[in-house]
Amino acid sequence: MPTITMSDGATPGTSTDGVERRVLDAAMRCLARWGVAKTSLDDIAREAGVSRATVYRAFPGGKDTVLDAIVADELGRFADDLAEHLDAADDLEALLVVGITFAARTLTGHDALQYLLVHEPEQVLPHVSFGRFDQVLAGAAALVAPHLARFVGEELALRTGEWVTRLVLSYTMSPSPSYDFTDAADVRRFTRSYLLSGLDDRSTAAPPAPAPPPA
Amino acid sequence: MTDCTSAAIGHPPSPAKHRILTATYTCIARSGLARVTVEDAAREAGISRATVYRHFPGGRDELVRETVGHEVAHFFLDLADAVATSSSFAEVLTEALLHAHAAVAGHEVLQKLLATEPDRLLPNLSVEANRLLPPIAAFLTPHLEAEDLRSDIEVDAAAEYVARMVLSLVGAPGRWDLTDRDEVGELVRSEVLAGIVAGVAPGL
Repeated sequence: MPTITMSDGATPGTSTDGVERRVLDAAMRCLARWGVAKTSLDDIAREAGVSRATVYRAFPGGKDTVLDAIVADELGRFADDLAEHLDAADDLEALLVVGITFAARTLTGHDALQYLLVHEPEQVLPHVSFGRFDQVLAGAAALVAPHLARFVGEELALRTGEWVTRLVLSYTMSPSPSYDFTDAADVRRFTRSYLLSGLDDRSTAAPPAPAPPPA
Repeated sequence: MTDCTSAAIGHPPSPAKHRILTATYTCIARSGLARVTVEDAAREAGISRATVYRHFPGGRDELVRETVGHEVAHFFLDLADAVATSSSFAEVLTEALLHAHAAVAGHEVLQKLLATEPDRLLPNLSVEANRLLPPIAAFLTPHLEAEDLRSDIEVDAAAEYVARMVLSLVGAPGRWDLTDRDEVGELVRSEVLAGIVAGVAPGL
């Protein structure tokens, strides 16, 4: 489970933000332990050390609102951390290796997600094949496209983002005997073999425009 | 369970099991995944409930899971037939993607279940499809071996890579229009084969 950092000096429970943070963290621990169906609002309140009424005040819709907030919170955190990693990459290979490795480690190291995959796959799998998978691909591609565009051009960035998202999900959801996506050396080997040759011509055909942002 | 599914793509299940799975499929097509029972399947197959349980001790859940696995295996066996006459590996993959996409779109029972019971169908479907990665890779291997491969490519790993791409694209095409032969050809050259087959480059 990703480590959740409280904002410095904030005493949990003294502000709305503090309560929200505390409830979300507690709910995440409950999910990793019991899954979605068996976690009740009481469990979350008890784990957070607050009253049921306090949880309802912070999340008026109850358990469903807490769950929606968790998904938004986790995705937001993932997006921020990923962006930080990708910003540091100064060529296409480094960008792909760091992005794939980070995404794979986050997915495989996420306690709540891994619990759900084993015990309540119906909560997760509908999002990674058929109907809703297209939305996941589009969302993930939009997230990484601005970073990829630095090296492959705008036109191919979304397509490449989808391509890489497919592979991260496939190689993490059903682990491969050939490549461990949480291992940077494996990912580098993979990237050189399968990804760069599909992109090279394009990145040379559409060199990144290093134009500074308009003042 | 694994045995039955992987057997289904290589050698089919026993006639008795096959009959039960086919009957279950008919029941699912009629009444959906939630409402199908061992009783229904037995009646449809013209056998007793005890016989169904002898072949599927896990009862309803095992029956549903194995039926999905059986249908998925069938889907890929049909796909293998559809591409049997293609000459180059690029052509095999292009035909496979066009055919698979059309088959998914035109599969009435699949589309009905995706619309009405996605939460029941998709966990089974994803698991069964992923279980087919090794047999699909095995099917692709001789096609790959017939090509002039890039020097850093290992056949097994490359076959697995291609199988994963095909499964993922069949599950969701994303931005690719998998009804358009030219676009599928570009997809195959750029994202599937450029890293594997010598001389294949995107955009040609």
